[in-house]
Amino acid sequence: MRRYTSALVTAVLAALLGILGVPHAAVSDDPAPRPAPAYNPYPPGILPSDLDPEIARVQREVQFIFNEALNEWRALPLPTLSGSPPTLQGGGYEAVDILGKLMNFDQNMSPFRNEACGFCHMPYTGFSGPIPSVNLTMIAYPGTLGHRAGKRTAQRYTYSPDFPVLEYNTTQGIFFGGNFWDGRSTGYKLQSADAEQAQHPPVDTQEMGFPDTACIAFRLSTAVYRPLFELVWGADFDIRWPGNTAQICATPGGSARFGGGATPIRLSPKDRTKTNNIYDHWGQSISKYERSNRLSPFTSKFDAFLKGAYTLTADEMAGYNLFKGKANCNSCHLDGRSTALTPDQTDTGAASNTRPLFTCFGYANLGLPLNPSAALFYQTTPDRFGFTPNPYGFAYRDLGLGTFLRSGFGSGPNPNSQWVQFAPISDGQMQTSTVRNVAMTPPQCPTTEAPGPYFQKEFFHNGYAKSLKQLVHFYNTRDVFAFKVTSGHCPAGKTEKVECWPMPEVPNNIDMTFGNLGLTDQEEDQIVAFLQALTDGFDPDHPNVSTYPDINTFTGQCMTGGISATQGNETLIPTPPLPPCASAVRGVQPLPAPHPIP
Amino acid sequence: MNRPLAKLAIVGTVGSLLLPSQTVAQLLPPTSRAARVEITKGPELEFARDDLAIIRWTSTSPGGDDEHFAVIHYGTDPKYLSQTARSHIRLNRGHAETMFRVRVEGLTPQTTYYYKVSSMGANGESDGVESPLNQFTTPAPGEQIVNYPQPK
Repeated sequence: MRRYTSALVTAVLAALLGILGVPHAAVSDDPAPRPAPAYNPYPPGILPSDLDPEIARVQREVQFIFNEALNEWRALPLPTLSGSPPTLQGGGYEAVDILGKLMNFDQNMSPFRNEACGFCHMPYTGFSGPIPSVNLTMIAYPGTLGHRAGKRTAQRYTYSPDFPVLEYNTTQGIFFGGNFWDGRSTGYKLQSADAEQAQHPPVDTQEMGFPDTACIAFRLSTAVYRPLFELVWGADFDIRWPGNTAQICATPGGSARFGGGATPIRLSPKDRTKTNNIYDHWGQSISKYERSNRLSPFTSKFDAFLKGAYTLTADEMAGYNLFKGKANCNSCHLDGRSTALTPDQTDTGAASNTRPLFTCFGYANLGLPLNPSAALFYQTTPDRFGFTPNPYGFAYRDLGLGTFLRSGFGSGPNPNSQWVQFAPISDGQMQTSTVRNVAMTPPQCPTTEAPGPYFQKEFFHNGYAKSLKQLVHFYNTRDVFAFKVTSGHCPAGKTEKVECWPMPEVPNNIDMTFGNLGLTDQEEDQIVAFLQALTDGFDPDHPNVSTYPDINTFTGQCMTGGISATQGNETLIPTPPLPPCASAVRGVQPLPAPHPIP
Repeated sequence: MNRPLAKLAIVGTVGSLLLPSQTVAQLLPPTSRAARVEITKGPELEFARDDLAIIRWTSTSPGGDDEHFAVIHYGTDPKYLSQTARSHIRLNRGHAETMFRVRVEGLTPQTTYYYKVSSMGANGESDGVESPLNQFTTPAPGEQIVNYPQPK
């Protein structure tokens, strides 16, 4: 009864707001019309030709999942608040999971009501980027304002809540934990790096793009599922919103009118605290959804193999033996097991006291080349709101963790001054992702690898690799086919990503654990087969049907043709002559060392 | 699946079921050190071009931090190895030996460099092993020396 009473109040409120001309959360199967592109600084070939219809496709898919979540909410028996501290007995887990799902797929959580978190993170790719042509070209996904976009690939949600709060481990001498490629979502306040991660894209100028975190509370206050939020968190939406709040929240962040401020909505301290608390609960709910058995279920073929319910194929087993043996992948992508270096060696190690998450939660500079296709390089002029995303153009270099530790351009503030000293030994380092679900695709495009039919993904922080074959080949031969060229300028007769790897974007701290692994072409393929065995949703009783939730929500087209070794090479573009690295990157103390960033 | 592996799998699975749902960071204790830490192969030139060289060697596991460094002291005068480079190497606690590889940049074409290699942990503490003096010569511009090509 309480839920329906709250829903009635919300409906009345929504009607009143409609009369007043204040936008409210509408449930619609039609995506909100995208504003006419206000910003297109790109030369031909950077934006894919099918960008607009593909954006519309993903928006429809997002809305479908949102509506599905609404139905789940309506079917949820009302849990009882009992005990002390008060706990939602029985249905608490479901309530938080559904709330997280609703918010994750709510397109109203952006100024133009056209971009949810899920736009860049869809289930059928392990909750990473869902547009094949974007994965082939501009790398980063367009934000609420077309066509602002970032510089890196959208990481998978799955198992991201397992990354601990970012810490510097003095015994190991390295950083562990955090979320994002550069670790800037530390989790220090919420004590969850993943919950904090959900708080960044809504106010990232290149992504969902609100100008103020309070906009989340504002939009939630009129959301149809507000009663569920209140059921879970008991949040107080009794906030005195200034009269210009709706207008502010309908304007993308970074706009000149805001003068660089992060809190343009003038709230009283008490109301600002309320909106901050709501925003924390936003992050916590989405993180709970990501941690749930829906998204992070440990249901891959490998998990079934560990339970004795599945026999790895010959190639999968060979790939696994290479993964933990000659290829040495599990030195960083920890599999919770020990290692058998040679084929005749038996694994006699005791099972490690950890679940096989296939990451050490650490960071490494893989020595990847600069990818000139990344959208951010081209955003050097102001858009119609007076915002210039990247005034440095190609003078920008992505130092990853090192930039974050310096609170540098393109990252976020570092909340721990004791860590700044470690920036030079962290330059170029990016997070060691979990390998789980790297190969997840929609069922109708059952692989990431050409000739397919395949779903085109992008790999590594800058999307440089376009197939798992290329990814493994990079680890195997980075230092065998090393040329002092930038991408797009391999010597005649040397195919890039096959017999030519361009030079690293960041020359410092390059990890030499790999680079010449001595793997044959067949051994590379076997490792790819093993990586594919780490995809969740496998049911030994029904091996051809994925059980992964919402795996069937892809409504686009698969690709066919070509070979995985050169997949995507037709979209390689020559890197322009690179200007020296901007002083805003190379000149921030402590300076990069031993080599300055060129 | 063979029996020992099945047992291992069951232990691993049961172990994971007993874990709390909040996974503790996988910060494993330092790796155990080999009874005798010594270089078992190399050092030798793996790759060189006119401005860059990669040296590799193998030693028994030095133990300690997973995060290690391959270190090279080098120079054009065998009596004065004036320069140093180091590269990140991640130990594998399941491996009895570690292959160290160090990247040396900023070299001059067609020049002979003398070097010694060693390794150290993340905290800068030496593993206590150093190679004898060795040398390599960088090729001419545009040429490469690839002593470990990709196997067929």
